[in-house]
Amino acid sequence: MGQLNMYWTFTKKAFLRSAVYRFEVWSRTGSNLIFLVMWGSIWTALYAGREEAAGVSFTAMLTYIVVSKFLDGVNEAGTPLWDIQEKVRTGDISLELMRPFDVPLRYLFADFGSVAFYMLTALLPIYFLLFLFMDLTLPTDGFTWIYFILSAFLGFLIRYCVEMTFGLLTFFLVETGGIEDIFYFAMSLLSGSVIPLWFFPGWLETIAMYLPFQSIFFLPISIFIGQISGSQIYMALGIQLFWLVVCYLILRLVWNRASHKVVVQGG
Amino acid sequence: MAIVKYINLYFKLIGAGVRAQLQYRFAFIMRIIGMLTAYTGTAVTMWVMLYQFQTLGDWNFYEMLFLLALSIVSWGFCIILFFHFRSLDTYILNGTFDRFLVRPINPFFHFMAMKFEVSSFGQFIFSVVVLTWVSFELQIDWTIGKAIFLLGVIVGGVLIQGGLLVIISALAFWTTKSEQFYWVAMYPARNLTYYPLMIYPKILQWVTAFVIPFGFVNYFPSTVILEKETPFFPDAIGYFSPLVGILFFMLSYFIWMQGLKRYKSTGS
Repeated sequence: MGQLNMYWTFTKKAFLRSAVYRFEVWSRTGSNLIFLVMWGSIWTALYAGREEAAGVSFTAMLTYIVVSKFLDGVNEAGTPLWDIQEKVRTGDISLELMRPFDVPLRYLFADFGSVAFYMLTALLPIYFLLFLFMDLTLPTDGFTWIYFILSAFLGFLIRYCVEMTFGLLTFFLVETGGIEDIFYFAMSLLSGSVIPLWFFPGWLETIAMYLPFQSIFFLPISIFIGQISGSQIYMALGIQLFWLVVCYLILRLVWNRASHKVVVQGG
Repeated sequence: MAIVKYINLYFKLIGAGVRAQLQYRFAFIMRIIGMLTAYTGTAVTMWVMLYQFQTLGDWNFYEMLFLLALSIVSWGFCIILFFHFRSLDTYILNGTFDRFLVRPINPFFHFMAMKFEVSSFGQFIFSVVVLTWVSFELQIDWTIGKAIFLLGVIVGGVLIQGGLLVIISALAFWTTKSEQFYWVAMYPARNLTYYPLMIYPKILQWVTAFVIPFGFVNYFPSTVILEKETPFFPDAIGYFSPLVGILFFMLSYFIWMQGLKRYKSTGS
């Protein structure tokens, strides 16, 4: 109980800290909306007036992109990859090793705080208005909403584990050039964040299905727009749980290795 | 000749910078690989997107690659010359900007020559490979006229994107912020230009043509070279790229100099 209380403090602190950096919230919202316009326009042009493609209606596709950009906003509100790398390079993270808490867990709880602030002050109001004024589809029954929120949350945790693991690789590499670009590529394409997996060429779809990234965007959004329904939902949630366990174990492994291998870079 | 003196000085100043960066050869290579991965990722995304749909607007995959490569080649030069402008706020906050003011050369020039980012080799490799490949696929007839036009477009593109970086850095004189403005405004705006502007809402097309003239970096010139139509705009608008670049850069230089007049040292 005391443990949980301590981590909860990090959440509250991060929430309050976000309130101070209001310019950050504005700027993040601005670029989030620009990317929303960009991908909305791209999909409008791709459908080119067609009612449906590959069995997916245009309205459903547009909803897919809007929900995707919402989740993008949620996922980007946490500690970004370059920030973790910077903490490793400057040695800030080694100071945390001396403190009586678990570092990956502490950052996760801090992320909850900053995500909550960003959602309440920017994402939820803006996307509420978008759904009000645009011709989009909403889940009709309450269960779909619950499954979507659950699935999106699992996706958030998986993304956190993967991003943290990539960030911690800085411990071993120091110079990480291509590493982060591989991460960003996987996050944008293989996760289905901008193109749903059903439009992929067959072989690429298969690859993407066997990777954890689809859990972050593709599965929750497909539940939202009803492409995944009925018993398939349990299957999707099961896949996500599986990947959460795997990614968490990998994160643990890398973290244990990393914390035993603190390279001291000068004074 | 003042200009010759400045050109000589520029190469002396950046020569030192380049040697310093090449000291870290591994980092240098990793950064190039990183850039290549990132742009190849964008190209692969375009390919997957068009796998089912064939065209975006009336642009096919190779035409879109051309558009992308044209944007990236001028961005490569831009990184070399102007990319460090975005972090002017850090120099001001740390008080290290003052050293650019106490020497007997133009502070704008001095700040510009301070850094020479060598990692842009990734941009050049990517865009040269793609432009060559696409030229074969689309059977672009590279006459001397077209080649000269391409050079003019690249110069124009460098000046437009560089100009925007200069304006963004000038904001630091008024607001003590600049790096963030880059990530809010310029980074998303550059991403918009990877796709043909004709797909965006009209208001956005207007902005990218006449306010932040990013349309002249790659979209308008590409329609000239690939002989494509530009809905809502006159067909020959692409020919104005170099001119727009020169005018926009002059404007941004003027803004930067105005900002400099306001500058007061933090005194720390």
